[in-house]
Amino acid sequence: MNNDDQALSPEEMLRLIEQQETETVSRLTPNPVPHYLAWGVAWFVGFGALFLRNGLSGRPYVEIPLGVALALLFGLMTLAMLISAMTMWQLGSPVRGASQQRGTMYGFSWFFGFSAMWVIGVRFGQSLPGPEQSLLWSSLSMMVVAILYMAGGAVWLTRWLFVFGAVVAVLNTIGTAAGPGWHALLISVGAGGGSIVTGLMLHRRLRR
Amino acid sequence: MTPELDPVIHAQARLRVVATLNTLADGDQITFPGLKDLLGMTAGNLSVHLSKLEEAGYVEIVKTHRGRTPVTYVALTHRGRAAFEGYTTAIRELLDTARAPASEET
Repeated sequence: MNNDDQALSPEEMLRLIEQQETETVSRLTPNPVPHYLAWGVAWFVGFGALFLRNGLSGRPYVEIPLGVALALLFGLMTLAMLISAMTMWQLGSPVRGASQQRGTMYGFSWFFGFSAMWVIGVRFGQSLPGPEQSLLWSSLSMMVVAILYMAGGAVWLTRWLFVFGAVVAVLNTIGTAAGPGWHALLISVGAGGGSIVTGLMLHRRLRR
Repeated sequence: MTPELDPVIHAQARLRVVATLNTLADGDQITFPGLKDLLGMTAGNLSVHLSKLEEAGYVEIVKTHRGRTPVTYVALTHRGRAAFEGYTTAIRELLDTARAPASEET
């Protein structure tokens, strides 16, 4: 008789089930660390530049042209989006079906969300003064991010993903009401710093 | 009072197959080579266990094509999911009844 067919004691069977479940989940779940670090750095640096440019009282701390600050922010965000897509898309995953469809639809939601943001920003940004224009772009992009993080939490029933999105939504709301300098500071430290910290915490937990 | 353990699942290799498939989301399927890698079994060995599970109606095997290459997908059926759930419940009950008298003695 094959060794595989032997029955073990109940304890051993239960341990076998648990081992197999942990092993499967860890091998089929993409590593989320690059995603959090990439977005964290993009927001921390991008909104950090906007904060230095806008200043809390409307007087810039460092003279950075608006175009340069926005290009830095959206350049880094595009890079982060590519990193997320590459790690999350899971080309060559052996699994197909419901979860694959869920991931594809979710990926397209980001694309359509940011496309809409782009058109709104270009259309209405032109008529606004510099700092307000940067606030329009910043608040729109963070609104899309917050909504999609919360939606992601709902789709995969991941509570902390939802909570992170909700925190970003609150910071975005308060920041937008308070003005360009405050918004950039809150998002840089709160969302950017928070994402970097989350990435590092997940990295430590996954290495164990 | 001993709960019956499902003989189809109550074998190391098949238990591992079913436990692996059970972690996939409902409605998901995994390729045969993907499952083989996760389990570290040989293709022949896995085939034998899968056909036993298929006979019991616990596993669904879908043969299809990706381009010209044939691909085989494997998934747990609803019946298979229910059987696995029943099995783990039975195992836990066994453990509880085994522990209970021992704790009374001490």
